[in-house]
Amino acid sequence: MLVATSALSQEPSNTEGEGAGIQFNGLGRTVLQQTGIGGTLLNTDSVTVENLTDGEFLLDLAVNAQPNDVTELQGVIRLRNEFGGFFGSGVSVEVRELWARGIIADAIKYRVGDMDVALTPYTLYLPDEAGVVNEPEVFRPQKEIIYYDEFYSEFNERRLQGGSVGFGLEFDRGLDELEVRSFIARLRATNFMDTPTRLIGGGRIGALSPQFGPYNSQAAIGANLAYTWDDLLSGDANTGIRNSVFTLDGDLILLNRDQIGLHLIGEGGWSKVELRTNTDSPTEGQVPTPAEPTIEDTDTFIELGLSANLKRADLSVSATFVDVGPDFYSSAAQSQRVDYTRTKSFYDRVGNDRDVRMVTLFDLARDPALYTFRVANELMAYDPRYGNVLPYGRATPNRRGARFGAAYAPSEGPLDAAVDVSILQEIRGQGTTELKDFILIRAEANARVDQLIDWNRALEITLGAQRESTSRSGEPVERVNLTSTLVEAGVSAEVYDRLDILLGLKTRTSDGREYVPTIENFNDVEDFPGLFEVDDSESLWGLGIRYRFRDGIFLTLQYQRFSYGDDSFPAGDYQLNQVFALYSMTF
Amino acid sequence: MKTVSKNRTCVALTLAAVFLLAGCDHLTEPIDGPRLIDRFGDFSLIEPLGESRPSVDFAAGESVAFTARFNKQVNWVLEITGQTSGAVKRFEDFSDELTDANALWRGGTTELPFFGTEICDVALIIPDEEVDTLRTIVEVLSVKEYEGNVAADFNEDAGSDIFVGNFEFELDASSGLSAEVRPAEGEFFYLLRGTDDVVNNFFVGLIDIKATITGETYFPVPTSVPEDLYFNMFLYSFGTPNTIAVVQLVFDENGSGAFEDGQDQVFAYGDIVVDWVGWQHFHKPMSELGLTQAQVQELVAIRVLLISDNNAQPSPPLPVDYGIDYLTFTAGGPLQL
Repeated sequence: MLVATSALSQEPSNTEGEGAGIQFNGLGRTVLQQTGIGGTLLNTDSVTVENLTDGEFLLDLAVNAQPNDVTELQGVIRLRNEFGGFFGSGVSVEVRELWARGIIADAIKYRVGDMDVALTPYTLYLPDEAGVVNEPEVFRPQKEIIYYDEFYSEFNERRLQGGSVGFGLEFDRGLDELEVRSFIARLRATNFMDTPTRLIGGGRIGALSPQFGPYNSQAAIGANLAYTWDDLLSGDANTGIRNSVFTLDGDLILLNRDQIGLHLIGEGGWSKVELRTNTDSPTEGQVPTPAEPTIEDTDTFIELGLSANLKRADLSVSATFVDVGPDFYSSAAQSQRVDYTRTKSFYDRVGNDRDVRMVTLFDLARDPALYTFRVANELMAYDPRYGNVLPYGRATPNRRGARFGAAYAPSEGPLDAAVDVSILQEIRGQGTTELKDFILIRAEANARVDQLIDWNRALEITLGAQRESTSRSGEPVERVNLTSTLVEAGVSAEVYDRLDILLGLKTRTSDGREYVPTIENFNDVEDFPGLFEVDDSESLWGLGIRYRFRDGIFLTLQYQRFSYGDDSFPAGDYQLNQVFALYSMTF
Repeated sequence: MKTVSKNRTCVALTLAAVFLLAGCDHLTEPIDGPRLIDRFGDFSLIEPLGESRPSVDFAAGESVAFTARFNKQVNWVLEITGQTSGAVKRFEDFSDELTDANALWRGGTTELPFFGTEICDVALIIPDEEVDTLRTIVEVLSVKEYEGNVAADFNEDAGSDIFVGNFEFELDASSGLSAEVRPAEGEFFYLLRGTDDVVNNFFVGLIDIKATITGETYFPVPTSVPEDLYFNMFLYSFGTPNTIAVVQLVFDENGSGAFEDGQDQVFAYGDIVVDWVGWQHFHKPMSELGLTQAQVQELVAIRVLLISDNNAQPSPPLPVDYGIDYLTFTAGGPLQL
């Protein structure tokens, strides 16, 4: 039986209603903020402006049309006016989103235009960002602006422009379900000179077996493909990449009882990346000479483990063996959200020498200019203070070891908590035959205190912590010993009907030494610019009130203060503070 | 039913094992990127500069290898300088040791002239590290014998085998065999010096080196394949401005066995603007000069002209000069210094 699959992960989050007709919905936002800088660094700085004021008024107007029961179209027009813009100055109008989708023959789903797609963490995926474990509520409004503007979804999907189709099959015997979906999208347009059009295509075939055996076993397996390539017939470019990633993933339920479920889970696969160069330029009427690979790398990965779900205790635990090859390259899965090389919107350079200020928790919390949803051309630069163990998410290459996880997550109840531990080692040494050892511990907890003390208004405490340690022995010059600790705490208390007081704190300390490589040829270490020695700390705390007019509409006023201190260079210490008002309305 | 489920479990576990083994087998280089100890490590000398023999007889086929070892890879330069000739042989590498693979001296030179039988200073320079230059000496008992056929080395008076064309009486008295500077090879080189101040026509003077200087009718060549046969010469520039050297190879077109100007065909090496200081090695394959296989076997003379670039000369014109030495024919490539 052929059915339209619901697993395409393309459901728009802001459409309402069903049936034929036209609907208008969208988002309106006003933010005004004043940011100031001070501290020891500014004592000798006669250049940096100590206070900046900015803001924006923004309306995303979505027009959703459903001409019939099987077709839907949506366009989102963005009207934006920067704070201080008058009579057209600072005003922009742009199309933010445009898509159409529908169902063919009541069986095949399709979508063209903008779409959010994810496959698996090793093929097509947007890794979680560094510097966040369990964001305190007070910092979320600004972070949600970034997430909304960069099209980040809670399913780690990437925003692409292209088309997709998918369908599902249900069977009476042999298999329970078979799901097929495929997509093709353009990642980049040609500049008609040296940059060719870049495309990505791929898909997934997934199958679910019926239950079998004495323990109600069941198997779900999938085959995934993500293929990124440059169209060397576009523009005058004669060099482009081919990056193919093929994986198999599975979830075998070994035991499925009322009290416990036991799963064998895993994914394994292969990647290949090539840089191809056409030996001559195609001319009209001639078949171009096939491009020759000038760089070629292949490698594999495997992730295999057991997970147990202790149902009555609402506890799940897992243990996984991980092995990701040093040359494993998957551009659509390893590209990060934060581009540390970008110019910050605020105080990018400080001091009389106009040195570039390093990215901080303050910037990560509020600056959209640092974020991207684009697929990078090679492994991106990273900041080891925020993520050194898995800077490219689970698909981080050159890692072997074990991951352990435990989560207490009752469907109802005042508490939930989770902890993840990764104990990893390099497979290939960087600059030495000695290998780095990594330990990553992440923990988070949420406590709905109002339920614990039987208070009639919402009161929630959130906690998050991350500790990373990296070490390497060897000759003195080869030794690495970097430790970073990130702690988050937040309180959200409803003190009057729909009026919340928000309080939050984030701190990070880092100490030690590490070498951060520069990258060439997709994932090769080009060089080590210098020893990265750090002994610094930073803290960001925020206090605010929020009034929720109704779901999706709120106004918040906040004060945030940030301090940065470098024990090895006290003259570089500085503080930032900001006051902002944000009115956000989803309709 | 039990059998089926057992089989499925076995298949799943087998697949898992296969994945596990496949995933762990990576084709991997020993390290990624440059060695950290090379980039950031402190330098130390493990083994000082040494030589495999204190004196060397290059003519007998001997060579001398230099050795040293460091704790890290570094850029190093080994420079051998003849105390008498001033000749320099230079080895350069990025490595953590000097061995016979990267510092073996067979008597050749990097900067002309050739080495003589002399004491040579050897210096090991490590420019990127704060370390004193390491030094030793080597004595050359006999010089290297270079490959190829020598057309002219100007080490003795050639008599009528060199015709001096001082038609306008512009070559001065110093022209001829000279040791005014250290010759590129041997005791003398040929100096052409003069001023284009009699007949203002660019031409100062010339010499015709006849093939008979070798005792043969035609210059002996090691191969007749024009693409493989190289003509080599060393030119010395005093840094005198407005000097142009023109060298021509003469093919005995009329088959007379001698050079008859106007009857034999001339192939020009090309104008050489002589604007450096010191000796330089010039070489070209005969095919590049346009000679055929038959022609390279019947070269009857080599004409060397001194030209004054009157377009750039002041008035009255200044003297111009250059030296020439060690004209050879080699097979398979230029003369290996």
